[in-house]
Amino acid sequence: MGIERVESSDAELVRRVRAGDIGAYGALVSRYRDRLGRYAVHMIGDHEDAEEALQDSFVRAYRSLARCYDPARFGAWLYGIMVNRYRTTGARAARRHRIFVRDADALNGAAHGDQADRVEWTDAIERALARLAPEYREAFLLKHVEDLEYEAIAELTGAGVSALKMRVKRAREQLQLYLREAEHV
Amino acid sequence: MFERPDDVVARVIQHLRRPVAIDPGLDARVLREIAQAPPTNRRGWPLWSALAAAAVLGAILIARPWSRDETNRSDLLQFVFVAPQAASVSLVGDFNDWDPARSPMQTAQGVWATAVRLAPGRYRYAFLVNGVDWRADPGAPTARDDEFGTASSVVTVGGRGS
Repeated sequence: MGIERVESSDAELVRRVRAGDIGAYGALVSRYRDRLGRYAVHMIGDHEDAEEALQDSFVRAYRSLARCYDPARFGAWLYGIMVNRYRTTGARAARRHRIFVRDADALNGAAHGDQADRVEWTDAIERALARLAPEYREAFLLKHVEDLEYEAIAELTGAGVSALKMRVKRAREQLQLYLREAEHV
Repeated sequence: MFERPDDVVARVIQHLRRPVAIDPGLDARVLREIAQAPPTNRRGWPLWSALAAAAVLGAILIARPWSRDETNRSDLLQFVFVAPQAASVSLVGDFNDWDPARSPMQTAQGVWATAVRLAPGRYRYAFLVNGVDWRADPGAPTARDDEFGTASSVVTVGGRGS
């Protein structure tokens, strides 16, 4: 125990975790929780489910750390675990519906003007995202929100770069369509 | 009048890139879960043997500088304190004026955690359990210049060590 000065690189932290340092793994959790959590929330839709998936992914990553062959790219490897985790558990459409009920309540409870507009805009985006096919939503979020390169996304998903570009293009087109429809509801 | 399609998508992206609030107790839950089922190293010894041994004593602190923010040269430190019987734990130190309200720790099954970003320097800290019980870090250097008459610990950020 005690306190040590810690180098901040992922590779160093992974090395320390492998040596049995729980604090170093806590550092990795802290470093990636917000980014990975954002991806999980947008991908899964339900905040509680997303946090459960996030926690599960961190635990799986820890237990599989011996298979992280390039510790300097721990972050990308972690994204891969989350992506696969979502695929194995599948989309939870029913729970997404419950979110919208809650958001509708929030909208009704919103006072006036800007606040109601913000809630409505957030709800419209969530609904539009939910309508995307999972592979489109996945590609769109990884490319445009998480700012990953196509080559990195290809590694995570196993899809080819050209297929990913097509998915992102379709996702953009469909989001435009769905949000435009929402303006007329 | 419609926005151009690219403008709509740009607004969507901007919206989705905003931070999403994640339960601060998640860190502690992860650490708790992995500590319950530790992997073994090549020699077959549980990696958490030291942790488990310390847990018998009732409280463990792990405090590590976590991530260096290159923009302001500060470190994010995560403090984890295992106190299964505690009703509340706060991190107190000279970086928060020893104010327990400023760094309350989140718990998951007795594992308490909080993260604090600190600029380079030497800091004294302790844990306030149940609002009255002052605990130092048993594994960290003890502050010798404690004017409160209670034990506290020392962490050095951005230096050569603690």
